[in-house]
Amino acid sequence: MRYASNEFGGISSLLKIDLKLFVIVMMIVFLGLATLFSVSNGDNTLMFKQSIRIIIGLVAMILLAQIHPDNFRLFSPALYFIGLLLLILTIFFGVGKSADRWLDFYFVRFQPSELMKIFVPLMIASFYSDKSLPPKFKNLVVAVLIIIVPALLIAKQPDLGTAILITSSGIIAIFLSGIRLAHIFLGLVFVIGAIPLLWSQMYDYQKSRILSFFSPDQDVLGSGYHLVQSKIALGSGGLFGKGYMNGTQSKLDFLPENHTDFIFSAYGEEFGFMGVLILILLYVLATFRGMSISIKATDNFSRILSGTLILTIFLYVLVNVGMVIGILPIVGAPLPFMSYGGTSMLTVFAALGIIMSIKSHQRLMRK
Amino acid sequence: MVSKHRNETIRKRHRFEEKTGWEDINDPVRDRASHKLRALIASGIVFVISIFYLDHIFQIQINDHELYTTKAEDNRIRVRPIEPIRGNILDRNGITLAESFDTFDIIAKKENIVSERNFLLNSQKVFKFEKKDIDRLKREFKNGRLKEVTLKKNTTMEEFTKLSVDQYLLPEMELIVKSNRRYIFPEATSHVLGYTGKLSENDFNSTVEIKEGMTTVGKVGVERFYQNLLSGTPGFEKLETNANNEIIRVLEKKSATRGSDVYLTIDAKLQNYTYELLQGQRGSIIVMDPHNGDILSFVSHPGYDINLFARGISSKDYNKLLKDKAKPLFNRALVGQYPPGSTVKPFFGIVALEDGIIDKSKVFACTGAYKLENYKRPFKCWKKDGHMNVNLSSAVASSCDVFFYRLAEISGIDMIHDKLQKFGFGQKTYVDLYGEKRGLLPSREWKSQSRQSAWYPGETLNVGIGQGYFLATPLQLANATALLASGGSSVTPHLFLRSIDRIKNEVSNFSYSDNKNEIEIDTDSLHVVNEAMWRVVYDKSIGTASHIKKIDSLEFAGKTGTAQVYNLDKGKTGTKSLQDHALFISFAPFESPEIVVSVIVDNGGSGSAVAAPIARNIINYYFENIKPKVAMQ
Repeated sequence: MRYASNEFGGISSLLKIDLKLFVIVMMIVFLGLATLFSVSNGDNTLMFKQSIRIIIGLVAMILLAQIHPDNFRLFSPALYFIGLLLLILTIFFGVGKSADRWLDFYFVRFQPSELMKIFVPLMIASFYSDKSLPPKFKNLVVAVLIIIVPALLIAKQPDLGTAILITSSGIIAIFLSGIRLAHIFLGLVFVIGAIPLLWSQMYDYQKSRILSFFSPDQDVLGSGYHLVQSKIALGSGGLFGKGYMNGTQSKLDFLPENHTDFIFSAYGEEFGFMGVLILILLYVLATFRGMSISIKATDNFSRILSGTLILTIFLYVLVNVGMVIGILPIVGAPLPFMSYGGTSMLTVFAALGIIMSIKSHQRLMRK
Repeated sequence: MVSKHRNETIRKRHRFEEKTGWEDINDPVRDRASHKLRALIASGIVFVISIFYLDHIFQIQINDHELYTTKAEDNRIRVRPIEPIRGNILDRNGITLAESFDTFDIIAKKENIVSERNFLLNSQKVFKFEKKDIDRLKREFKNGRLKEVTLKKNTTMEEFTKLSVDQYLLPEMELIVKSNRRYIFPEATSHVLGYTGKLSENDFNSTVEIKEGMTTVGKVGVERFYQNLLSGTPGFEKLETNANNEIIRVLEKKSATRGSDVYLTIDAKLQNYTYELLQGQRGSIIVMDPHNGDILSFVSHPGYDINLFARGISSKDYNKLLKDKAKPLFNRALVGQYPPGSTVKPFFGIVALEDGIIDKSKVFACTGAYKLENYKRPFKCWKKDGHMNVNLSSAVASSCDVFFYRLAEISGIDMIHDKLQKFGFGQKTYVDLYGEKRGLLPSREWKSQSRQSAWYPGETLNVGIGQGYFLATPLQLANATALLASGGSSVTPHLFLRSIDRIKNEVSNFSYSDNKNEIEIDTDSLHVVNEAMWRVVYDKSIGTASHIKKIDSLEFAGKTGTAQVYNLDKGKTGTKSLQDHALFISFAPFESPEIVVSVIVDNGGSGSAVAAPIARNIINYYFENIKPKVAMQ
């Protein structure tokens, strides 16, 4: 049996962890912590807090890895609808600085939209698990509804970035379920048709954000300022970077959000193109490892879910990096495993846990 | 537990199969193959996008590396100029005329102020501002020309340290050291020193050397002319600042170099004395050494408070100066062009003697008027009854007009124009001040060019007595007199005596040998004319200035001039502005001249009544109060 023959099997098999994926991710986590230490000018408070979050994330990952995928499948409708309920509650009772994204339960404060990043792929995988594949048109419409309802609720908060990301992860799930080419075209037409509608529904600041993406230099101190400073940070890094702890853009606060959304630029400033190459490589390797798990999974649910989750994580990487290098508008998306922040860290580790559960339980499905 | 879920799964599958029939049941092999294909496509897309991203990052990090490095440096590095201390200006005896002193201002740069509202609120707290202060700040915010708002002027280091406790409220607040200019005798020296002001656009296209980091510059006068010497070299501080513009550290520092001190030929005491003599009048006085060209006193009255300009004059004050009828901003000594009147007679006399047009005993008869062919109206002498028979000496002493009408007629305008040039008429003296006027020594050529008209013989007669088109500046008259007094070997009039670089301890003196102002004057002719000028003061019977009080210790020579502004009917005095200009040129002591004094009082009346006594007082003052002290030293 393949699983038993794994020579690193010992502890990792006991914890039901995929060692390769784990090692790659922990390398990224380590780079993230190092960068965090640098941007906080040697003050280890942020790093310490982040470490605790990572530990919480790891615990969550290990716990989730123990649960059999079937349980995810069975509970997914319940989880999905709880998520929806929370989103509706957020509209009425939400709190937050500029947008009401948070639910405050006195003892814990969190963003329901973050939960949906996992619940939506879960729901679609679960929905398609007992349907014939490739999905029929009827089932496709249902899947689209599964995606669109939470996406609209989140967009209303307003949190356009997360709404788009959740929609994208849903689309990935549909793609992996084996959607027909014709349906893909249909979808494209639908999306293109929706853009003007979406634009008219957007808030001014959302519009200006997107507009500033097309000409960031014209509004240096406005919304384009972030991008300009981010590019300066990266560009001044050069091939080998300015050296660890030597980034001027991040240390002198020219680079805004240098420990959260723009940590990639801070990293790129100090470690240069070589560092960036290594980091991107690690993300790609993690994604490939996830895809390999997905390919080897033994049922449709596991295949769709694991593939969607790992691709979604990679999508977040693309969105974040694309944003800080000026390929995508600045929507405020964290870089998985690196950005400072509790919720997103927990989410990506949870996703990782589910993937590992699928990996480690596949043997049991084989009969 | 696990098996329970598995059973559940299997049960569900069974139910599903019952419902949908076998045909629609998934084909595990086909599903797996289909998923694998899609997973590989997805992986391929992941790879391709990663390459695309890396290519984009390569563009930023490698291709545009230099561009962004520059931008990053621009971000963090601020170069702050350090204003040099401007050199002082002193008189010939080392009395300070203009000095630099430091003041500390608390300011905030507008570029650092994020929210004007919060800034005003917080500054109100920190400085305990009243409403009028807040209003002032608001005005400064509105004024687009100001790059900063001034929170407090003329504060001290100690006070700033106290206020710094609240710096968290007003992080924009910063202390700047301002070098200011103070003039000790602001009005008396105004037309000599000029003033400094903020660097403006015009200064860049001038002869003044503008160094990086300079903010003030001499605008007029000596401050302007010796700007390059006085200003020194600004230094700079290369600072590393963060995004909030807080200074992290000083990367590099170069101190400013102090400007040189400039000593002027001016004697402060004499300057103040001469300035006071013109109290209530408009006019100009030049006192200079005929041998070395040192200008001891350079006065244009009224002057103005140059300290107002040094501090930055308000438009209200400036308009007041502009509208003042006495024209205090007008530098009469340098740019005032007056008909020289009879003061030109000694010079004309010399060239006529030298040219052999007359000799010293040649006599013309003066009947009170001179009749010129084709002119209906006779040319009047100032003395109605005439001077009877006069030779050159008595004509100069009595300032006989008819003698000089006749002399002009036989000399002709060409000779007058050509020969009088050697005394500097019609040319700049090249004193060390900008904007000097050249006066006008008329000629046929000049008239045909500027008036498109032929020269008329009557005009020659007018020129012969320093009227008509003839114009000279007070400085030109002093310069010409210096040539007389020195027998033709003078030095270009100048204000610069020496400069001292306090850093290098280098002294550079005025080069007298490089600035020689020499002409040839026939000794005999000079003697005749100088003696005639002595008679002006001492010949009781005819000397036009013989009525004035004499000086016991020495004798002096001079020449009165009354330049007609307008033909006033005899006996009536017109309005003050139409009265004649009173002029007097003189040198003393008569035997071996040490100073030349030239006085012009605008619309003052007659030279003998108004200008001559002033010159006499100056000579008296100089030899009583100035010279003995110098001799003692």
